[in-house]
Amino acid sequence: MSGAGKKKMSQQDKSIKNSGPTAPIAVTGIGITSSIGMNAGEFSDSLRAGKSGIDHWTLSAGPPIPVGIGARLPDFSLAAALQQVEGVPEPLRRRVGLCAGRSPLGIQAAVLAALEAWIKAGLHQVPLDPQRLGIIVAGSNLNPQYSYGLHEKFQQNPEYLTPRYPLHYMDTDYVGTLSEIFQVQGEGFTVGGASASGNVAIIKACQAIGGEVIDACLVIGAPADLSPMELQGFYNIGALGGRNFHDQPDKACRPFDRHHEGFIYGQAGACMLLESPASAQRRGVPGLARVTGGALVLDGNRLPDPNEEGEARAMALALARAGLDPSEIDYLNAHGTSSPLGDEIEVKAVKQVFKENVNRLWINSTKGLTGHCLTSAGVVEAIAAAIQLQQGFLHPNKNLENPIDNECRFCPPQSLPVSIRKAMSNSFGFGGIVTSIILERGGL
Amino acid sequence: MTQLDVFQTVKKVTLEVLPFLPPEEVSIEKNLKDLGANSIDRMEVVTRSMESLGIKVPLMEFGKVKNLEGLVDVLHRFAN
Repeated sequence: MSGAGKKKMSQQDKSIKNSGPTAPIAVTGIGITSSIGMNAGEFSDSLRAGKSGIDHWTLSAGPPIPVGIGARLPDFSLAAALQQVEGVPEPLRRRVGLCAGRSPLGIQAAVLAALEAWIKAGLHQVPLDPQRLGIIVAGSNLNPQYSYGLHEKFQQNPEYLTPRYPLHYMDTDYVGTLSEIFQVQGEGFTVGGASASGNVAIIKACQAIGGEVIDACLVIGAPADLSPMELQGFYNIGALGGRNFHDQPDKACRPFDRHHEGFIYGQAGACMLLESPASAQRRGVPGLARVTGGALVLDGNRLPDPNEEGEARAMALALARAGLDPSEIDYLNAHGTSSPLGDEIEVKAVKQVFKENVNRLWINSTKGLTGHCLTSAGVVEAIAAAIQLQQGFLHPNKNLENPIDNECRFCPPQSLPVSIRKAMSNSFGFGGIVTSIILERGGL
Repeated sequence: MTQLDVFQTVKKVTLEVLPFLPPEEVSIEKNLKDLGANSIDRMEVVTRSMESLGIKVPLMEFGKVKNLEGLVDVLHRFAN
């Protein structure tokens, strides 16, 4: 007895030292605004149908840039979209309008996603102690288009600069706005992890909940609202695709296909409500999936270059923290940006970790449908993984005609009705920021 | 430009900044704070009114303004 107790204790110590999720964390709500759906229902229909949101994209301001395609958030009115969300109590509806009614696009997209997750998680009916609820916003440098759009007017008449500029240019405007709308009083901050930001936020939320700092957390995938300067910059370093398939935008993003040539920019706001099992149980919400492991590691590398060792280390560590063997993972939602080097290195790292299991591990990349949502990609893809786990299907790996590898089991062009139990989702960022998380089917 | 013209501009801007406000509540003796405008909203009414009127008023001129009438007076002075 005492021996077993000691052993248990030492395992606990180890998991705390590893600072991964210390216990499974429930996903009790999801919400999304994207090019392929303005709520989770539409989004999951699009995943199932393999619908791409990538299209021609003419920028409204600035000089023409070489790549005019992307997966853009549709123009929407927050007031009209708000009417579509059922069951929102009047005071909450009013706060959304007051706090975000005239905010930049990204904030409105995130607010709408958060509202959907909030209602799905039943927080309007069975509330949480506001001081035990947190907000973690994934992403940094979120609104360059907002500043870029004001620049010309500022040059002419600095006196007329909107007094809201000092609020909106800061990423923390997301934290402030969401905290006022949802009356959140626990921890709240933004995390920057480049294209891995979404997974970084999920991992940090699990740590805060597992460490009992908070009971639940709104994890927000904030859209990266890029200006023409950022897009030209990505183009200049050869990271952006869309050159050869310019006349067929929905073919431009082709993760793991021999004709991949760089990422295609996408926009999405996403929210995942993570909650401790005890809190979810107390509130009587079963949840739709669980986060059971996660790892964030650095390559020691300031460049955009992917690194096989770092990626393999993150995946292996996430598995160890979830207490899983590679053979137990059914499905990998790959980082898969459709970048030649990135896709190739990820395949190598996956093979290094999964070894002989690689031929039975289903792999797809949601970016083939949504484009690369950069700061919010991790949250978007965790939501995609949770939906596929819950609903028992795998979405197509879009545009895979000539795979770069014949041993990996990439998903076909049609979605598959497959029951999957355990999934991994990778997100890798410039600057050697490497993450992997594990999601499992079912709530508590 | 009359004081009434300036007031109509201020009223229009105020209703854009505070969309929930019933238009009849925006009268000359009211102050923006009582109408529900926060500190940023109040600055926005000032900035956008200046822009609509095509004038530039040093912000310190508004230091002693107590209500919409005072705001209209300052703007009117610079608009003519």
